[in-house]
Amino acid sequence: MVAKLSTRGLTKSFSKNQTELVALKDLTIDVQDGEFVSIVGASGCGKTTFLRLIDGLTKPTSGSIEIDGRTITKPGQDIAFVFQNDGLLPWRTVHRNTTFGPELQGRPKSTFRKLTQDALRLVGLNGFDEHYPHELSGGMRQRVNIARALTVGADVLLMDEPFAALDSQTREIMQGELMRISQQTKKTVLLVTHQIDEAVYLSDRVLIFTARPGRLKEEIVIDLPRPRDLAVKRTPEFVRYTDRIWRAIEEEVRESIGLEVQNLARAKA
Amino acid sequence: MITGLAKSKEAAPPTRIAFSVPPALWRGATAFLLAAVVWEVVARYVIGNPLFLSPLSSVAVRTVELWHEGELQNHIWVSFVEFFWGFTLASVVGILIGIVLAEWRTLRQFCDPLLSMMYATPIIALGPLFILWLGIGVISKIAIIFLTAVFPIIINTIAGLTTTERTLIDVARSLSATPIQIYTKVRLPAALPFIIAGLRLSVARALVGVVVAELFGARAGLGFMIVNSAQSFDTAAVFVGVFILAVAGVVSVELLKFLEMKLAPWRFQSEDN
Repeated sequence: MVAKLSTRGLTKSFSKNQTELVALKDLTIDVQDGEFVSIVGASGCGKTTFLRLIDGLTKPTSGSIEIDGRTITKPGQDIAFVFQNDGLLPWRTVHRNTTFGPELQGRPKSTFRKLTQDALRLVGLNGFDEHYPHELSGGMRQRVNIARALTVGADVLLMDEPFAALDSQTREIMQGELMRISQQTKKTVLLVTHQIDEAVYLSDRVLIFTARPGRLKEEIVIDLPRPRDLAVKRTPEFVRYTDRIWRAIEEEVRESIGLEVQNLARAKA
Repeated sequence: MITGLAKSKEAAPPTRIAFSVPPALWRGATAFLLAAVVWEVVARYVIGNPLFLSPLSSVAVRTVELWHEGELQNHIWVSFVEFFWGFTLASVVGILIGIVLAEWRTLRQFCDPLLSMMYATPIIALGPLFILWLGIGVISKIAIIFLTAVFPIIINTIAGLTTTERTLIDVARSLSATPIQIYTKVRLPAALPFIIAGLRLSVARALVGVVVAELFGARAGLGFMIVNSAQSFDTAAVFVGVFILAVAGVVSVELLKFLEMKLAPWRFQSEDN
């Protein structure tokens, strides 16, 4: 069976002050159709870069990306991106933000109203079509951000720490919402997050990246029954998963901090 | 009993809102009135010489007189025409230059120091030269107004177009926008509030430009009227001119502020909260 999304030896390096900085090294992963996969890792391990490469916002140094076995090179309608900062256009209403993708693709305007209604119903914001982003709370804006990604009609959703800017209670609720949305739409989701519990709660599989350069360190299948509600977070199985992931990451975090200290010492000498 | 209480509580707030004036408004109005009274009293009883400071009431009377003579309308019209053309030209040319420089980095680096210098220079000081070059008619005034007003517009247009939030452009790119779509649907609308703020800065400068340009030599206009009246010791008429300019300034700035608020309500969000 061909994977929905695959990366083959994906590598990205930046040159900075004449030194080559490798952000990601030789990443090969497969995500099956309808699978929910999270990526966790220390800060600066290239998680976001990885998503940007897949979406074609950044060009890889080497390696390739495949959707349904086809190699892709630039942002298309197969993939939708949910950004960390909601990235809503402040001069557009919720409706016009939600249908920004279809508008750019030149799809018929007559379908837009229905697209918005369906997407907003799905994210639990129906009736807010004519509001402006500045009239909404952070959680609501993030829902519009997700709704906008849904109208693209892509099978694959890339999400870059979508709830990082929210307060912890709103984040908790939004995790439940995302769980519901991903199950209703049967999208393939690749989520980058700092929150280990978020990753365990939502995912079928969690990928742990090493500190820079980012490589695949470990892969953990989350074998918790679905549907899961938020109460699952207090079960012993759940805690075992988060512990295991934290131990794997802790090493990386220490290493990345240690590396930085060493570099500082070298710079001073 | 209890329901009656609840009802009256619900009914009370709307009537109170209907009759209340925002405190900032009546406080402002009070200060305004107070200033008028102080002026009248000081001019009439402390200074006592209308040559130095004519009382507010005399200024009002003089306004009516000048209007009946038909002179005031002419001065207002001439100044308005100068202002209108100078400012309109500055807006159109300023925005176009701004757009070109925002896109063309190399050229911008050539022009930047020059622009900063011209922005900081009081162009007004060149007034006499412009009269020498272009005569005492309307054209020299339009040129001066244009030059005083154009630089804030250029600079703000560049700032607006070059500081687009990175995420917004990424969003458009991720949704497969073409470069032209990114320009027309993201960068231009994002720059619009900056451009209007530039226009607002320029309007005030342009008004100063009108008056000072006319001070240096003119046949008509409010600045000309002010200079002429001062030379013939008609202090009240000087104030008539100043008042009209003040009103024009307030109205045009407020108009642009209103436009800014309509076009970019999100920038005023913090004031609501």
